[in-house]
Amino acid sequence: MKPAPFQYHAANSAADAAQLLGDLGDDAKLISGGQSLAPMLAMRLVRFDHLVDISRVADLRGIDRNNGTLIVQAATPDVLVERSDVVVASVPLLTKVTPLIGHFQIRNRGTIGGSIAHADPAAEYPAVAVALGAQMECLSVRGTRMIDAADYFVGIWSTSMESDELLKAIHFPVWSGRVGFGVAEFARRHGDFAIAGAVAAVELDSGNVISRCSIAMFGVSGQPERALSAESHLLGSSVGEISPEEVGRLAIADVESPSDDANMPATYRMSVAASTVATAWTNALTEAHHG
Amino acid sequence: MTDTLAAPTANTGGARFVGQRVQRREDLRLVTGHGRYTDDVVVPGMLHAAFLRSDIARGVINSIDVSAARQLDGVVAVFTGADFNAEIREHWVDFEGPGGDASPFRVLADTDVRFAGDPIAVVIATSRYIAEDACELIEVDIEPSTPVIGADAALAADAPVVHAGRADNIAGAIPAAADPVLDEIFANAAHVITETIDQNRYLCVPMETRGIVSQWDPFNQELTVHISTQGPHGVRAYIGRALGIPENRIRVIMKDVGGGFGQKMFMIPDEVAVVLAGKRLGRPVKWIEDRRENLMSGLHARDDRMTVSFAVDDTFHILGVKCDLIEDVGSFNAAGSSSIGFVGLLFPGPYKIPRVGFSAKAVFTNTCGRCSYRGPWMMETAAREQMMDIAARRLGIDPLEFRRINVITSAELPYTTAAGLVYDAVSIDGSLEQAVSMVGYEAFRAEQAAARAQGRFIGLGLGLYVEPSGIAMGNMSSEAAIVSISVNGDVTAVMSSGSHGQSLETTVAQVVADRLGVDFERVTVVQGDTAATPFGPGTGGSRSAVILNGAASQASGDVRTKMLEIAAHVLEAATDDLELEAGNISVRGTPSKGISVTEVARIAYLRPQELPPGMSLGLESHARYTPNAPFTFSNSCHACVVEVDAVTGGVKVLRFIVSEDCGVMINPDVVEGQIAGGVVQGIGGVLYEEMAYDMSGNPMNTTFVDYLLPTATEVPIIEYGHIETRSSTNPGGFKGMGEGGAIGSPPAVINAVADASPTSSTGRSSSRCRRRTSAPPSTLLADPAE
Repeated sequence: MKPAPFQYHAANSAADAAQLLGDLGDDAKLISGGQSLAPMLAMRLVRFDHLVDISRVADLRGIDRNNGTLIVQAATPDVLVERSDVVVASVPLLTKVTPLIGHFQIRNRGTIGGSIAHADPAAEYPAVAVALGAQMECLSVRGTRMIDAADYFVGIWSTSMESDELLKAIHFPVWSGRVGFGVAEFARRHGDFAIAGAVAAVELDSGNVISRCSIAMFGVSGQPERALSAESHLLGSSVGEISPEEVGRLAIADVESPSDDANMPATYRMSVAASTVATAWTNALTEAHHG
Repeated sequence: MTDTLAAPTANTGGARFVGQRVQRREDLRLVTGHGRYTDDVVVPGMLHAAFLRSDIARGVINSIDVSAARQLDGVVAVFTGADFNAEIREHWVDFEGPGGDASPFRVLADTDVRFAGDPIAVVIATSRYIAEDACELIEVDIEPSTPVIGADAALAADAPVVHAGRADNIAGAIPAAADPVLDEIFANAAHVITETIDQNRYLCVPMETRGIVSQWDPFNQELTVHISTQGPHGVRAYIGRALGIPENRIRVIMKDVGGGFGQKMFMIPDEVAVVLAGKRLGRPVKWIEDRRENLMSGLHARDDRMTVSFAVDDTFHILGVKCDLIEDVGSFNAAGSSSIGFVGLLFPGPYKIPRVGFSAKAVFTNTCGRCSYRGPWMMETAAREQMMDIAARRLGIDPLEFRRINVITSAELPYTTAAGLVYDAVSIDGSLEQAVSMVGYEAFRAEQAAARAQGRFIGLGLGLYVEPSGIAMGNMSSEAAIVSISVNGDVTAVMSSGSHGQSLETTVAQVVADRLGVDFERVTVVQGDTAATPFGPGTGGSRSAVILNGAASQASGDVRTKMLEIAAHVLEAATDDLELEAGNISVRGTPSKGISVTEVARIAYLRPQELPPGMSLGLESHARYTPNAPFTFSNSCHACVVEVDAVTGGVKVLRFIVSEDCGVMINPDVVEGQIAGGVVQGIGGVLYEEMAYDMSGNPMNTTFVDYLLPTATEVPIIEYGHIETRSSTNPGGFKGMGEGGAIGSPPAVINAVADASPTSSTGRSSSRCRRRTSAPPSTLLADPAE
């Protein structure tokens, strides 16, 4: 379990990393925390002639609140997201999901941008990005562009970024007012990728009518799944009008191609997903009420 | 909870340390990360090995081309089966002895490959990285054929044979014997209950994988081997025979070992290849098995299926049982890996079962070979204890009641089982009742009913067993100790077998300190180096507490006797009037009249004129010990409480209770640590761990992403109860218990999951929660398909 030979490049800045990606082309891969890439390299499941290390790049780390947006630089370790006062005050859903990622040793090394760019369909951060409508700031020698989370995840371990682009930062919209957030997942063991999970966000008006809501599931298919029809049913309804179980049923009805394999049949995975949606939704509502 | 305290050990020294929770001496280095494992061994000029393994389960090797690999910069040599296989002179381990139907063996695959992971070539290079790069340059042409996967395929009438030259895939068999008496019992029984119990393949998974550093010194014609093993003497003897090197020119060193659990009892072909490569090159070679290799090809375990029938009378007494066992031993199984003999012998376990019919087959398949794993025969308990629950439900009585009706009680001792084993110093019903009391069985039943009314599903399972510890037969019959007190009064105990996690550096020192009447701190234990230690078989069969400490006790007793004789001579007193305590020998009732152990040692070595006339010099004894019975029976009862999530099928272990009777406890912390480790392996085997193959023979669980081990978050705080019934087989009254945790826990967990199901009273759950693994979604309580 030793990787094949590769050339190591330590990037000095985000621009430097983009330049290296531009120069080296498809033979190069970014590495930050290495929590997914390093084992794949060690088992020679993947190989690259060049690794561009962005873990020490100062302008790729950090968390900033800019009016209605929380900007998290891509190479910020999970543990800093988990413990950030700015994050909990701005996008508390990130604070809630982070402890579910692996174990603390993994969160010390793993980065939020690594998780999102790796695009594992069972990962928590991509689902949060999709649920909240985050914008992905992507950088290349050709310039910067923003990709909406809804367009970013295109399949298992696959995004709409070009091979010369790096994920520079994630821009999360800040929800304010009578808002609440919830997460629920089921994994074989604590810290494992979930068999299915869900995140939910809700905003209530003064009359306890749902004025804004979002639900996304993870682990259920090739990418995070937004539960759009469930959301449209909920929008404008009063709290309690639609039961959490019904929300779960509506949510899974939106999943067109659920993951299906011999060990985890789709029917089972979807019933777990519905249950996690119900729990996440209930938690979000409870928080909006009392928060 | 301790029901019975150990009686004071009269005439054998005091009990200052035995029975105490003495801090483990190993902890300082191991807990702080300063242990020395095989990968910590670095030798000047050392080369590194990597193996090219087959990714095809079964096929003929048409060609192997290593030329490109040999040319890679940094590669020193590439060897294949053609280079090595003819070098092996004798292939047998002490455990099996020569001749007989020895397990199939070759160093490297030559004509064909027989499992995915089968080593084909070994590259020796200046680094492991380069060695692995070179493996990719080896071109192997294999003509694949349909592999034999699973016992049914192995036994099929038209099954291809796994090992060419054999008539069939039968590795071993016990045919069913005609038994008209048993047939009569079944014909007339009020109830006959039959079920087939499956056990998934799961593995030892030591934290430290295998590792070896082999140094051949051509100028002295000496071989030095550092190896992660359970038995360095067995390694030495085996290499000596296999390679034709005199045993006394081989030194095998085992330092800290991060677990073996049976997997490291014997060398595997990969390790032999490393020794051969180093000898051929005249340079030291290191190989550290990586985790994928350990999971894929480092030997597997379990994987059994047993059909059991109970004949029961109308008062719920078991009249007889019939069992038929099939073991899948894979391709190149290790010595002693098949347990068909022991399973039949031990099946009656803790119950009065007057008659047992047993038949079994062990079969070869195109999968990784099987090895021993902590209680290799545990299918007897796994199947029996599941059957106790299944039968009880079908009979309409509570599983605890069914056990109480059939359990062997203390009043019935000594008890001879149907297989002829004699239990004398056990407390089987005591363990059952202690565990039941600790778990609060009656209160649990009320809580379970209340929970079900709220849509929560909790269940309780029991696992009761008798453990055949201190196994003393064949090469495992004895252990030896050399105990000496040096000129400064310090004590050294040189032991024939060593610890790979059993805390022997601590427990042997406790026993020796008590026998010699000295402080624990003055005793040092030496182990794991064939240059220093007498022959021993290594760990296995829960032997060390009984046999190794028996040897330590015997040698210490000799030294103690001699010390007292010297002191009696110096003090002009009778030895019977002397007291030996805390490093001082004094005349009973006259504490001022005494002599220190150190002073006695100085007389023994430096002032021979002060010795009693005719006495030999020195304070040392070399004793070889065998217990007075082939088994030292301990007993235990496990009780597990789980909650099963109705939607996800997720199983949470809420409580785990173990009542253990291992006789006199040398160190309760060590006893509880051994129980905990075994229980965690059992929880893992039931709920998380499975090594599965697809029908092409591909192993599906070769990383820790796929092979799930329980972690601290999945395991509850384990609750312990102790009963101490002195053993009669050895002077310390000790019993082994190293394997029991892994034997009793699997059926307790499975029974608890089954018990959580609201349909369990119908018996339907018996087939639903039977194994392979009890993992979601198979643990779902309400399957719409049914």
